[in-house]
Amino acid sequence: MAEKISHLSHTLEPKRDAYGFALRPQHLQRYREYANIYKEEEDERSEKWKNFLEQQADTAQNCWSQRLHKESLPSGVSEHRDGTVSDRPAEGDDPSDNKPSDSRIGSSPEREVHSTENLRSREHKDRTVSDRPAEGDDPSDNKPSDSPIGSSLEREVHSTENLRSSEHRDGTVSDRPAEGDDPSDNKPSDSSIGSSPEREVHSTENLRSSEHRDGTVSDRPAEGDDPSDNNKPSDSSIGSSPEREVHSTEKLKSDKVPRWANIRPVLGAIENMMSFRIEKAKNVEDDLKGVNGAHLPTVDEVSHLGQNSEDDSEGDVEIDEASNGSTHSCKGERAASEGTPLESSFPWREELECLVRGGVPKDLRGEVWQAFVGVRTRRIERYYQDLLAREASDDEGKALDNSCDVQQKLKKQIEKDIPRTFPGHPALDENGRNSLRRLLIAYARHNPSVGYCQAMNFFAGLLLLLMPEENAFWALVGIIDDYFGGYYTEEMIESQVDQLVFEELMRERFPKLVNHLDFLGVQVAWISGPWFLSIFVNMLPWESVLRIWDVLLFEGNRVMLFRTALALMELYGPAIVTTKDAGDAITLLQSLAGSTFDSSQLVLTACMGFLAITEARLHNLREKHRPSVLEVVEERSRKGRVWKDSKGLATKLYSFKHDTPSLVKETKSIERPEDVAADADASHLDNSSHLEDLLGGLAVDSEVDSLPDLQEQVVWLKVELCRLLEEKRSAILRAEELETALMEMVQQDNRLQLSARMEQLEQEVTELRQALADKKEQETAMLQVLMRVEQEQRVTEDARICAEQEVAAQKYAVHVLQEKYEIAMISLAQMEKRVVMAESMLEATLQYESGQNKAQQSPGSARSQSSAQETPARRIGLFGLGWRDRNKGKPSVEESCESPQKEITNRELEQQPK
Amino acid sequence: MGCSSSLPDRASGRLSGLNSENGSVNDAKNLRVKLVLLGDSGVGKSCIVLRFVRGQFDPTSKVTIGASFLSQTIALQDSTTVKFEIWDTAGQERYAALAPLYYRGAAVAVVVYDITSPESFQKAQYWVKELQKHGSPDMVMALVGNKADLQENREVTVQDGIDYAEKNGMFFIETSAKTADNINQLFEEIAKRLPRPTPS
Repeated sequence: MAEKISHLSHTLEPKRDAYGFALRPQHLQRYREYANIYKEEEDERSEKWKNFLEQQADTAQNCWSQRLHKESLPSGVSEHRDGTVSDRPAEGDDPSDNKPSDSRIGSSPEREVHSTENLRSREHKDRTVSDRPAEGDDPSDNKPSDSPIGSSLEREVHSTENLRSSEHRDGTVSDRPAEGDDPSDNKPSDSSIGSSPEREVHSTENLRSSEHRDGTVSDRPAEGDDPSDNNKPSDSSIGSSPEREVHSTEKLKSDKVPRWANIRPVLGAIENMMSFRIEKAKNVEDDLKGVNGAHLPTVDEVSHLGQNSEDDSEGDVEIDEASNGSTHSCKGERAASEGTPLESSFPWREELECLVRGGVPKDLRGEVWQAFVGVRTRRIERYYQDLLAREASDDEGKALDNSCDVQQKLKKQIEKDIPRTFPGHPALDENGRNSLRRLLIAYARHNPSVGYCQAMNFFAGLLLLLMPEENAFWALVGIIDDYFGGYYTEEMIESQVDQLVFEELMRERFPKLVNHLDFLGVQVAWISGPWFLSIFVNMLPWESVLRIWDVLLFEGNRVMLFRTALALMELYGPAIVTTKDAGDAITLLQSLAGSTFDSSQLVLTACMGFLAITEARLHNLREKHRPSVLEVVEERSRKGRVWKDSKGLATKLYSFKHDTPSLVKETKSIERPEDVAADADASHLDNSSHLEDLLGGLAVDSEVDSLPDLQEQVVWLKVELCRLLEEKRSAILRAEELETALMEMVQQDNRLQLSARMEQLEQEVTELRQALADKKEQETAMLQVLMRVEQEQRVTEDARICAEQEVAAQKYAVHVLQEKYEIAMISLAQMEKRVVMAESMLEATLQYESGQNKAQQSPGSARSQSSAQETPARRIGLFGLGWRDRNKGKPSVEESCESPQKEITNRELEQQPK
Repeated sequence: MGCSSSLPDRASGRLSGLNSENGSVNDAKNLRVKLVLLGDSGVGKSCIVLRFVRGQFDPTSKVTIGASFLSQTIALQDSTTVKFEIWDTAGQERYAALAPLYYRGAAVAVVVYDITSPESFQKAQYWVKELQKHGSPDMVMALVGNKADLQENREVTVQDGIDYAEKNGMFFIETSAKTADNINQLFEEIAKRLPRPTPS
């Protein structure tokens, strides 16, 4: 594996970055741009770390030398040691690998530094030697300085170590490359001891190592190669195993996956600080054992188990015990002599924090991480091997046990995921994958409540790239069990809780952005969920991921997750706000995050911009949100009923409002433990161990201090005051933020205006309605009028018709009358004719009478008679005649009389046709 | 090798351009739908999406953690466009706890199984039940048998798939992300089945 890594620079396709991870094609350009920046940064931080570690080394020496001296006494050099030594380079996988690295060391400028510095460093040598065992409390850990990257990347340390190295070493460096390859090298142990800084370590260890130990050591790396080895007792002390010989012969030829390597001595101080934290946590957990019953008890159990199984290997046990004893005694010593708790014994913590935020040098990363996670403190001898050995019994023994079933399922899942973990990474070849498999299986057995969860494959893969297998296992244990406890379990409760917490923080920090996302229908957790679960692996460029991990592992909690996610939101929020639909917003955020090459900007924004996000704060928020998650989970598992919808706006607003007081409480709660500590300090000054317990029981975060020395106490209080002031400042800042947020909300809140407008509109509406009603009324009125008019019209029409009828009737009457008149006229004419006739008859008669009278006149009488008779006749005649005369006499009058009549008749006749 | 990215850079450029014309509102011609892919681990959910969105197939793709998002727009024959906002979820069982976050509010659910794995078919049925219980009732559901190119290793018959889909009112198709068989058809068929907003 290491060979691959060391040759990476040659075999690297252009598509991979300096860590061998695939680069997205679209990021190639930007990566190239940043590659130079990375290099500069790397150089800078290498320098800083070097200085820091030198300083540490010096102080550490003073502190530890005495005790270590003692320890190194009961020692005997064994020839086999060399085998071990030669093995060590093999941790880089291939013994042949040593050469390039060594030669590089030789050619490096630091080399010269050594040679010059060696002159003065020689005198320190003694101290150095004694120094080393101290760092390895456990003598069985005797391969201190190795890490897989070690072979290529150790320059840094060498340089520091070289400061303390002796003159003749220079000369013997050339030996070293040979060692790896050539077993014949074993004999000249003395020269080889001097050959390299690492050597030196061995030499010290050799002093106290027993012969079979080195067998163990040589054994371990060999195991790594061959999965078939897993089941076999790996300890040479169980020497009965036939594998042993095979190993010893094979170990030099074959690729090796190193199982366990100790951390470089210079990092010991850091390691101690961190392990202090772990022990504290352990104490807390032990106290809470009944309540919590977490995984650590398991660890304890197994530690017994492990020790039992080691009974055969007496040497190991002895050494274990010895080392444990020494650790304890050391602790006791320190506690007693110094009587000072954690913080004061690590005055450089702040400096280190600064350095970590600036990034850990590539070369040191693997070991620094181990130190941060406290790999050595967590480690239980042979625990890992035993976990792996369980496989055999599992497979052979219990056939279809329930737990076995689960294990099978997990194994299947692991099998599925192994080729899908950093596919194509040069280091994850056959061997790398086997290591990965073993690691994940071992973890699944170690903590059945988690088993295996997708995402762990990436973590394990990453750790394997930086450290030997067993170290990676313990680092993984630290990360998953402690840092991410409850995250990857079956229900993933803590992960869900964190999402709610993060959403609340987002609402508080970026109300505008969240409003926009709400508007688009995007839930923050859609995006942040994968970020948190993967700890940004595959989500950000690798440089950024590693930088975040640096800080996260250093801090030992998930605060950095939140801070980074918030920093990303701060960096990219303005861009997100411009998007117009959910898809675009998510795509944009994903791709922007994926091209966050400026790792320094990201980490600094995260660390400096969000100081108010502290573990205590997160703890409170988690407590607040956990019940709702638990409720949902319970509901789901019980009934499988409807997934509870996200909380209503009202609840969110409520929580938003109630944040502020919680912050105040927080600051208070920070103060409290101090008092307790001070009291404890006063009463238990004499009993330091008790004090330590007590301190262990206190919250991890509040770095409690109790100093007998008033001055120190004052200093400490000042620091505390500063911190509180800072807290206060951030609280004030936050209050201001909230205020502005509120203002914004108020500004946005134009409800009043709206309601006024509404009223106005409503009024208008009513007015319009009124108008409408009026119009309608008018219309009806008009209609009525119209109707009336129509009626009238109808009446008049009727009247007209009547009149017409009347006219017709009258005409008819006229006609009838005319007819009558005509008839009358006719009859009149007839009557006239008759009158004429009668007149003529009368005349005739008269003439006849007169004729007769004449005849009779002769007779007188006749005459008288005739006269008598004549008179009437005359009268008649007179009358007749008169009338006739009148007629005759006035014929014009008669005619004129007659003519008008005729005219009338004519007129009437004429009229009639009309 | 090229497990490269879960981010549709190409697509995103295209889509953002498209979107500026469309606005965010669904109209009759431009639909926007949230689609969620569910199914057992390793059945090829991510591969289906990658094939559909980028036309690529990577035999060594990487494990999806949580979920990943991609989007793609297709044009139908009736000149409507459908923009799929695809959530590709993690397959491991315990991630089911997070699945509701993603399938809530989704208009389409694509449940995928591997035709060479009866176990994954079982898992698909679990997902269908889960969706029937907790998903929105008018969700368009598709049952997809992936890895259809591995005919010789087939363990779930086509008929089984058809029967189960029919029983549950789903649309069924067998696809192969590797050969790109039926991948576009899958999404086109889904698009056709979407409820259209009635033009008012």
